[in-house]
Amino acid sequence: MTKPCIEVHNLSKTYRVPVREAGLKASLRSLTHRTYQEVEAVQQISFSVEPGEIVGFIGPNGAGKTTTLKMLAGLLHPTGGEATVAGFTPWERRHAYLRRISMVMGNKSQMLWDIPPLDSFQVLGDIYAVPPAEYRQTLDELIDLLGMRELLTKPVRNFSLGERMKCELVAGLIHRPQVLFLDEPTLGLDVSMQNRLRQFIREYNRRSSATILLTSHYMADVTALCPRVILIHEGKLLYDSDLQELARKLAPFKLVHASLLVNSTPPAFPGGLQPVEVSEEGRHTFRLPRDEAAAFTAQLLGSLPVVDLTVEDPPIEAVIDQIYQEGKV
Amino acid sequence: MHSLKLLQTFARASFQQELAYRSNFFISLFHSLLNLGTGLLALLVLFGQVQSIRGWDFPATLALLGVYLIVSALRGLVFGPSLESMAGMDGEVLTGRLDYTLLRPVNTQFLASFRVWNLYAFIDLALGVAVLILAVVKIGQAVPVGHWLSFLAALVSAVATLYALMLVFAALVFWFPGVLFTWIFNSIFQMARYPVGLYPSWLRVVLTWIIPVGIITTLPAQALTLGLPLPLQLGGLALSVALVTGASLLFRVALSRYASASS
Repeated sequence: MTKPCIEVHNLSKTYRVPVREAGLKASLRSLTHRTYQEVEAVQQISFSVEPGEIVGFIGPNGAGKTTTLKMLAGLLHPTGGEATVAGFTPWERRHAYLRRISMVMGNKSQMLWDIPPLDSFQVLGDIYAVPPAEYRQTLDELIDLLGMRELLTKPVRNFSLGERMKCELVAGLIHRPQVLFLDEPTLGLDVSMQNRLRQFIREYNRRSSATILLTSHYMADVTALCPRVILIHEGKLLYDSDLQELARKLAPFKLVHASLLVNSTPPAFPGGLQPVEVSEEGRHTFRLPRDEAAAFTAQLLGSLPVVDLTVEDPPIEAVIDQIYQEGKV
Repeated sequence: MHSLKLLQTFARASFQQELAYRSNFFISLFHSLLNLGTGLLALLVLFGQVQSIRGWDFPATLALLGVYLIVSALRGLVFGPSLESMAGMDGEVLTGRLDYTLLRPVNTQFLASFRVWNLYAFIDLALGVAVLILAVVKIGQAVPVGHWLSFLAALVSAVATLYALMLVFAALVFWFPGVLFTWIFNSIFQMARYPVGLYPSWLRVVLTWIIPVGIITTLPAQALTLGLPLPLQLGGLALSVALVTGASLLFRVALSRYASASS
């Protein structure tokens, strides 16, 4: 059995945040009497990630995702607990460790904005001391994978958000990191650009076998890329396993959509079941327990003039929203 | 070797960035000339009235202005832009943009100090050198080689002292991220345009030992024009080494306080 690439044990982070009442009087008072509140951003979370795995790190805003990622990238010192990534303690920030990892953030740029991206890539190549031949090969490969050759000679300042994000990914991968932390890499991008970047991340993982930990608010990112998810809420780990299993566990029902031939008489559905929704086009949606779905569809097909039929799991967004609302799995 | 290569890389990338805005060159030129003009005018007015003040005559004071311009230019060229970008409400510490500096497999102090250069500080450097040459011409006699060597050593330790002070301010940003310490420092540094001996004794103590901006310019200028007693030369050197060491330690402690930004 291979040794996990990322091992986290009881990792915690507490911030000391200044607090005060609203209003001018409170503002003035805070000049001399400042009060603080301890915020437990991450509370004793433990998990491990195998080499080459892509794991989705999900949770509502303020759940502690980014804080955890930043501790693992060595940017923040934890208040408690231990972690090793690729055999190193991240917050010791050893150069050998930093050479093995990369962090790409959707809301922060590492590009030099006034010059073409090639110049920024060269600076990073020099910082990571990437040998020239390897640099050229990696750059060519990444540029082709992202289809961004035409962008190379324009100043980054003039790029769209999606174009800039492509550059951020190249910048983050120019030294071929073994571990990649992606913090909201598709933030604010249109649907087709999100798809493009997802394909890229999947392909990069396949080619390089890099371990990837990804946070995203877009469930499409997670469902497309991550067979496994770690869900945290208010700093606590709520779930760590297969994404589809999570959906099955939380939503033990299936949705059956059936379109019938137009008929003036209201149809009698098997078992007297009534649809939860009927669309204007005559598409009936039924919600029923998982183990009854197969029998129901067989009866439906046998008894009524069905022209189209689909059976599906409830949308993952609905499942996740349920957890966020309830704070438990 | 890698550090030297990186300095070259940072300088090249910064110059490329600066050259993207041509108008900045003319504004920088105007600013530098204005800075030089006001400095010269003050000296001309002063020495129109008197021959010398506490042993400092016009050529010596002119040499001091040259040193002030050179030291300021080196700060503006090499470490000023990087260290100053960390402070303030929009600074890298408060906004979390320092993340990428900390993620690099390079000494953080080195990267935080030298990653951004300002090409136009070369204008100030050229003007400073010109003023210094003018001062040497005004002295009217050949400056001994020993004075030149002493001047160069004092100049190196002056730049190191200034770097240490800037590094201390950059470190303090981790405790007080919104405060632009360099603004306060710049006002004090203006006093270094004149010989430290000109000021009242209590202020001399402050400018020599507490915020040693006085010796940054006074020692090199004195070395060039009058020669520097060995104890003073070595004292200046020792002070700069001690300050750089202390500032580096403080910076390391400060880094462990970095909280990034919440998202």
